[in-house]
Amino acid sequence: MATQAVKRHKGRISKGHLIAHSYIWVIILFVLFPIYVVIESSFNPTGLLNSGSFIPTQFSWANYHLLLTDPHVPFLRWIFNSILLATGNAVIAVFIGGASAFAFSRMKFRGRKIGLQALLLVQVFPSFLALAAIYVMMERVYTVFPAIGLGSLGGLLLIYLGGSMGVNIWLLRGYIDTIPMELDEAARIDGASTPQVYWLIFFPLAAPVLAVTALLAFIGTFNEFILASIFLTDVHQRTVAVGLNSFVGAQFGQNWGPFAAGSLMASIPLVILFLSLQRFIIGGLTQGATKG
Amino acid sequence: MAAVDAILLAMFLAALHKHSGIIQLVIALVALAANYVYFSKRTMPFKFLLPGLILLTLFVVIPVVYTVEMSFFNYQSGNIITKDAAVTQLINNGLTPDAANTSYDMVLGTDNGGFTALLTNPATHISYIANEKMVVVLNPGEFKTNSKGDAISVPGFKPYTPDEEANLDSVISNAKFPLPNGDFIQPQDTSSASLLTQSVHYDPATGLLKNAATGKTYKDNGNGNFANVDNPKDLLYPGWKSFSKFQNYAHLLSDPNIRGPFIGVFVWTFCFASITVILMFGFGLLLAIALEQKLRFKRFYRSIVILPYAIPSFMSILIWKGMFNTQFGAVNALFHSHIDFFDSPWLARGMVLIVNLWLGLPYFYLISTGALQAIPADLEEAAEMDGATSTQILRQIKLPLLLQILAPLLISSFAFNFNNFNLIYLLTGGGPTDALHGQTAGATDILITYTYKTAFNGANQNYGSASAISMLIFLIVASLSLWSLRRSRVLDLVS
Repeated sequence: MATQAVKRHKGRISKGHLIAHSYIWVIILFVLFPIYVVIESSFNPTGLLNSGSFIPTQFSWANYHLLLTDPHVPFLRWIFNSILLATGNAVIAVFIGGASAFAFSRMKFRGRKIGLQALLLVQVFPSFLALAAIYVMMERVYTVFPAIGLGSLGGLLLIYLGGSMGVNIWLLRGYIDTIPMELDEAARIDGASTPQVYWLIFFPLAAPVLAVTALLAFIGTFNEFILASIFLTDVHQRTVAVGLNSFVGAQFGQNWGPFAAGSLMASIPLVILFLSLQRFIIGGLTQGATKG
Repeated sequence: MAAVDAILLAMFLAALHKHSGIIQLVIALVALAANYVYFSKRTMPFKFLLPGLILLTLFVVIPVVYTVEMSFFNYQSGNIITKDAAVTQLINNGLTPDAANTSYDMVLGTDNGGFTALLTNPATHISYIANEKMVVVLNPGEFKTNSKGDAISVPGFKPYTPDEEANLDSVISNAKFPLPNGDFIQPQDTSSASLLTQSVHYDPATGLLKNAATGKTYKDNGNGNFANVDNPKDLLYPGWKSFSKFQNYAHLLSDPNIRGPFIGVFVWTFCFASITVILMFGFGLLLAIALEQKLRFKRFYRSIVILPYAIPSFMSILIWKGMFNTQFGAVNALFHSHIDFFDSPWLARGMVLIVNLWLGLPYFYLISTGALQAIPADLEEAAEMDGATSTQILRQIKLPLLLQILAPLLISSFAFNFNNFNLIYLLTGGGPTDALHGQTAGATDILITYTYKTAFNGANQNYGSASAISMLIFLIVASLSLWSLRRSRVLDLVS
């Protein structure tokens, strides 16, 4: 009896394992399918996949060459614009957001509570919902300051900064709240002023969470499409999202190969960044899961 | 601080130069606030807060307030400018050639430095000297003529060279030489001009606009246009931006041209957001459970499964768009078929859901794993002791707990997908759209892409209506978020 029960138990486990394994493999194939197709087409000089065969038959760098040298497709310029915007947003947002979060977390002032609640509400309003208003507003700014008005990267950066500020302050404040109060009390007894406490104690202590916030802001900006697409009209000012969309949207059949090459080139840095920092990012996610 | 002040001052002067009142005011306020906060000793918290506050106010709060304002205005193509500018344009448009189609031969040049024209009426052989202030008749003998008898020179007059004329293109096409009776002579090209009479007259006292040529009288209809007194549907364009109370909102429900697509889009937005969250959660949870078991290559599987999360999403969406292509797409190649996924409403909707599943699966796998690990192990042990099977444990203990832990994240994911502009816009562009039957919204359009189309696509840009839809989206998303925040007690933490 006993041996039979053990056997049945074992049988159930291996059956469960089998189901689990096959399910995982179905998902893995689903996940890898487009990635494989993109890699394959980027090295395929015809750029097409209509032969019905998924096994690569030719290999060439032609698509990469075309994308990097075609004067009508300033791909490197787009990448540069995207990285410029994303880095600018990430770095400035962390400095400004960190300072505001510090004030909300550690200082007492009138309007603090209302300010925090207003921040929550603002955070809920995605800035692209106001896109018509932003468009009309920046059109007017353009007449006075072309450098930060409609069509400029500078203006777009300002809008991104404003739009991400609510979330960033909220995120950072949560973390600063967890840094023990004793630390700044000790520093104050040693005669540190408030800015000194901020720069010498909080900034180094919060470095990991600042880095994650910056990374999330970076990825968010890199992916942003809607504001960039109404904002940036000049082909040299475009971000890689807007540029690749118009490039591939015009002639899908013809541009598929170079597009595949471009998307690989633009993705690889982000994938490496993500995979090497996944411990922090996933930590933040699951923390969100348990904290709400 | 001095540098900041200098920059702000320079910006203020630039705004002053362009007569941009609102921008001036904003810059002045920013400068005042910055100086007060950074020079006073009692404002320590605001020294930290100010930059963030300014950015939030300028680029979030003001656009939001402006969106609210615009949603109450008739503000669309044809109703963009102010009433004064509209009246000026209507009067300009009212200039028509006189009954006899009088025209003049013209020589352009400068007279003592000023822009001047010598005009000769070839029918009457009367010549004039004209500038933008007045037109004066020239007496015979005062000017030199060419073989045709046209005036070509007077003392002090210097004709333009063809190069100079080419440079003055816009000056010439905008020039008007006023006659004492209110008519104008206007250049048609660089060597001829014609007589235009003013047929439209506006009386500011009564607010009536009369067209002498057609005999019609127009009155301000209170909604941004002059309308024919006898036929209110006969509107004059351009109109102006005018306050329209709740009309933009009311039109969403009452105007059959807007209501039909709007309700369809509204329903699909809800369906899309809920189905997509259910699908992603279902598959993600199963994956989390499957990978919870002791398996070989677990780490390897994990890093493959989260790959879609690392690839920039706009890129993945465009890649999928190519994969579903009819002629050369990999999906059709796989099944040796030629299905046009972008042409059929239901196939397009299914495609949107599949692509979104691919994009969202890693996130849901990650949060499900996190939540599964957060469930105390002794709960499972206790249930096993009581003889529960693993299915029972999963269904009756783990699932309810999971849902409780993940509810806020599910809600925020719903809110995110409710506004998932990138997915819809980049993958299907909202289509397929039955444009033949006059549809403005496509089968996969969600509210935010429909707003975008209303505001920016096509010939008719309707900012007012787009803002009204934006406000509606905001109300839905905000109430969802507030509800979930209250549930998770984040608001209590604040106080």
